[in-house]
Amino acid sequence: MSMKGGGFERQSKTSSEVPTSSLADIAFLLLIFFMVTTVFQADRDRPIEWPEAEAAEKIDEKTKNILNIWMQRDGQIFINDQPVPMEDVSAIVAPLYADSDRALVISIRGDREVPYLYMDLVQQELVSAGVVRVVFAAQLEQSMQRERR
Amino acid sequence: MAVLNKKKSKVSDEIPTSSMADIAFLLLIFFLVTTTFPKDKGLAVVLPEPGETAEVSQKNILHLIIQPSGIIEVKRGENQQIQQMRPSEIEGLWRQEVTANPNLIAAVKTHPDAAYEHMMNVLDALHTANAERISLQILEN
Repeated sequence: MSMKGGGFERQSKTSSEVPTSSLADIAFLLLIFFMVTTVFQADRDRPIEWPEAEAAEKIDEKTKNILNIWMQRDGQIFINDQPVPMEDVSAIVAPLYADSDRALVISIRGDREVPYLYMDLVQQELVSAGVVRVVFAAQLEQSMQRERR
Repeated sequence: MAVLNKKKSKVSDEIPTSSMADIAFLLLIFFLVTTTFPKDKGLAVVLPEPGETAEVSQKNILHLIIQPSGIIEVKRGENQQIQQMRPSEIEGLWRQEVTANPNLIAAVKTHPDAAYEHMMNVLDALHTANAERISLQILEN
């Protein structure tokens, strides 16, 4: 340590300033707290490979009116993190659809490799639940990628 | 005060941390304000009401049969002739066909074993070509 003061010390060691150095810690703590606790979706992402579409558009509906139906490669369906058998989809979706005053939009998030047979079965279930608006969720495809296809 | 007790240099040897809090709060507020939640993207379709069927004249239907390989067999209405196409060619085909017949309906029939991706490619091409009348079906024998 340098001895700039020539070895002399102040008589009083108590600082007359408000200790502001810990304020930064508080602020960063808050920052990290909000970053960690922010929940983006009610259900967690399932490991699927998204299909890509160039014409994919944003779903023009409030987040609470969107119900995600996940479909894995093996045809297993998940609604709100719960595995659901195919024949129960209609029974689960119909009351939710009624509760939302027929505003519910179903976002089908299927793996790109899932056989179409399962997709058709889900669509039939949704039709029998009376759902009209369905979105096939996809990632936006760049036109550069499209050229190669 | 004793002259000897005076520090020679008034420059503090500490890092000025008092403004750190301001910076942190500024960042906090900035991110709170600018955070936008990513909206889902996808291809929207409207499903028919239960029991709703519509009789359509065969000449207004363009059959797009998607095989498990991803090859699309195109059949025009009553014409039994089959034309094989790739998904990238569908957009041009639709634009061409719909100019000739504005009442045309795209009947997308997918083989049960065909990957969902192939159907999405065709649906994407139809959406890109501004097709509005699309029917999604499963291929029956």
